[in-house]
Amino acid sequence: MRLARAAIAVGGLVLAVAAYRAQVDNLPVPGERGRAIAIVAIGLSFLVAGLIAWARRRGNRLGPLMVVAGLALLLRQLRYSHNSTLFTLCFLVGDLSYAVVGHVALAYPSGRLIDRAGKALARAGYAVTLTFSLAVLLLYDGRGQLLQFDPFPRKSLIAVSSQPHAVELLQKTLIVVFYGVLATLLIAYILWRLTRATARARRILAPLLLAAVVVALRAVFECVFTFFDRPFANDYLFWWQIVGFIALPLALLVGLLRARLAHAGVGELVLRLERTPPQGLRQELAHALDDPSLEVAFWLPDRREFVNAAGQAVPLPPDRPDRAVTRLEHDGEPLAALVHDPSLRDEPELVDQVGAAARMALENARLHAEVHAQLAKVEESRARLATAADEERRRIERDLHDGAQTQLVALALELRRAQARLGRDADPEIDRLLGFAADELRDAVEGLRELARGIRPPILTEAGLAAALDALATRAPLAVQVDASPGRLPPEIEATAYFVACEGLANVVTHAGASNVTSSARNENGTMVVVVADDGVGGAQTTDGSGLRGLADRVEAHGGRLRVESPVGRGTRLVGEIPCGS
Amino acid sequence: MRVVIADDSVLMREGVAKILVDGGFDVVAEVGDADALKQAVDRLAPDVAVVDVRMPPTHTDEGARAAREIRAEHPDVGVLVLSQVIEAGHALALFQERPEGVGYLLKDRVLEIDDFVEAVRRVGRGGTAIDSDVIAQLVGRKRDDDPLEELTPREREVLGLMAEGLSNQGICKRLVLSPKTVETHVNSIFGKLGFVQAPDDHRRVLAVLAFLRS
Repeated sequence: MRLARAAIAVGGLVLAVAAYRAQVDNLPVPGERGRAIAIVAIGLSFLVAGLIAWARRRGNRLGPLMVVAGLALLLRQLRYSHNSTLFTLCFLVGDLSYAVVGHVALAYPSGRLIDRAGKALARAGYAVTLTFSLAVLLLYDGRGQLLQFDPFPRKSLIAVSSQPHAVELLQKTLIVVFYGVLATLLIAYILWRLTRATARARRILAPLLLAAVVVALRAVFECVFTFFDRPFANDYLFWWQIVGFIALPLALLVGLLRARLAHAGVGELVLRLERTPPQGLRQELAHALDDPSLEVAFWLPDRREFVNAAGQAVPLPPDRPDRAVTRLEHDGEPLAALVHDPSLRDEPELVDQVGAAARMALENARLHAEVHAQLAKVEESRARLATAADEERRRIERDLHDGAQTQLVALALELRRAQARLGRDADPEIDRLLGFAADELRDAVEGLRELARGIRPPILTEAGLAAALDALATRAPLAVQVDASPGRLPPEIEATAYFVACEGLANVVTHAGASNVTSSARNENGTMVVVVADDGVGGAQTTDGSGLRGLADRVEAHGGRLRVESPVGRGTRLVGEIPCGS
Repeated sequence: MRVVIADDSVLMREGVAKILVDGGFDVVAEVGDADALKQAVDRLAPDVAVVDVRMPPTHTDEGARAAREIRAEHPDVGVLVLSQVIEAGHALALFQERPEGVGYLLKDRVLEIDDFVEAVRRVGRGGTAIDSDVIAQLVGRKRDDDPLEELTPREREVLGLMAEGLSNQGICKRLVLSPKTVETHVNSIFGKLGFVQAPDDHRRVLAVLAFLRS
């Protein structure tokens, strides 16, 4: 391949010299030397840029296409030769070369024509230029002057008739169809692609803006040159379009090599990933692929589903025009999936390289995601267990209330009524026995009530957290200020918050030596924050102290946190934060 | 006196109904949930409703809520709330602005048949009946800015009994004091709390409110 490119380069240089000579020798107009050089430079620019792109972006057909365009642009100049064979062949290539240039713009950046509009435009370009050139050659036998040529006649080898007027009409029609209609359509197509592209794709497509400008300049130049005064077109317009034409292949090359630079970044990516924690992986990959919208999903073989870095299941979107999915595999097993900008579809090698470079990091991040997923499951199950335990406590308390307690009171009431019914005439022993039985029953009810309070305070059930905290404060052996304003919350949240306050007050009473105590419960943006604060001695042991550990377990089981702030000499705050979802 | 009883335990309901009938009440309806209670009160306009705090469907505070609604919609219907648990804060919420025609008793109090029947009658007449546990909690309460601080221990005791709903005569019996002594205490309480000009019944209510809110 390298040899082929070298041969093309040498051939191109030879062709360039020939093209220069063909103009200088055959179009002897003063000042034409500089123009000849400029026109040859356009062809060389395409040729050189195409060769570089070809060498650097293997598998991308844009490089070879640009080389073809460059060769065609150089060959085009040989049509000015008075050699009949060269004239005939190269006249045919002449306008075709611009069709190739159009094809380059249409196929940027992948080298392929991606949609029907692009394909149709490219085909139309080739068909129009070939057909008209062929028709001109068939009808031109040296009589009359060809547009853009000097007055000296050339000889078409395939002329079948002599129609000077038809030839002129054909040439002018070609200008209108090719440089008027098709060029306008090409510019519209480019602008349409740019407006529809994603941000990433737009950065890559930017050189096409220059292409649109160049095509417009060239089209205007051709029309002015053909239909108006030549001197006007000869001046600025000529040089502007020359400069644009030389710059265009270079801009396209830079656009292609931008992606190539990203490839060079893959090596760097490997080094950076060494120092990147799993949660930074996505950002590094996004950087390497130049796609901030990149999402990474990891395949968990056990669960047979994709999860995000936090271990949550994420369904992969279908491969859509506006969002592409690339699955990364290792040893035939799915590893991860990249959900990315569709413009990366044009650079599958880059995505593959980045995926390969990040394989270890991806494996690592997948393990993290797996641990996260398992942890989430454990947390869910812990919350379910805690809720079930709370539910059970509530059920027991209710059963006591609705069952045993009520029945015992009702039974004692019957005994009292029996006592009253017997009245004064009763045997004093029976009266005493009835009274004793009723009193015993009442004591039993009292005992059950205490039991129920320990399991779950009835006031919590009957009146909610604020009232329960009030009751707790009333019963405490020191003055407690209560500041509680939540409405009713799920029972397990109320119970957890209540027991935090219980534990806090119990600790204050036992250890703090405090004079001012506040107990507060507030719903702060969906988090129940319950605080017991005192102005006592502080310095409380915060490590797994018996009651606190169990309480912390209970709070954490509901997704919350429990903490103790107890600087020596500055009081103690027990803070429980429990998500309550409202 | 016409009474409606609301309790989801049939056993309890029947027991209470019987002692109230024995006590000379006309039990016009026995219901098992809050909606039926409200309908019965709307329809029968009883003098007093005896209401269990917990009733279906959630067995939390249906009775207490129904009691507040009845108090708002039928100011002349007395409501006596029975609960398995007595909390002062809860009592306050129930009484809101007006302690007239309200009772809040521990369920066990029905076993003191005479006192209970008397309490129902008092509430039916627009008086109050507050459980002695509430009073005990409030008296035992420790706070820095107690407006009742100026009262002597004896006067606090008398005020507590007033809050329970006892008349001067009832207080005499309970504390074994002469009517004159009780009256002296009561007037002293009114004086210290600053209710000098109002009619006696109204001052009683104000004193009870001051007590509950202190």
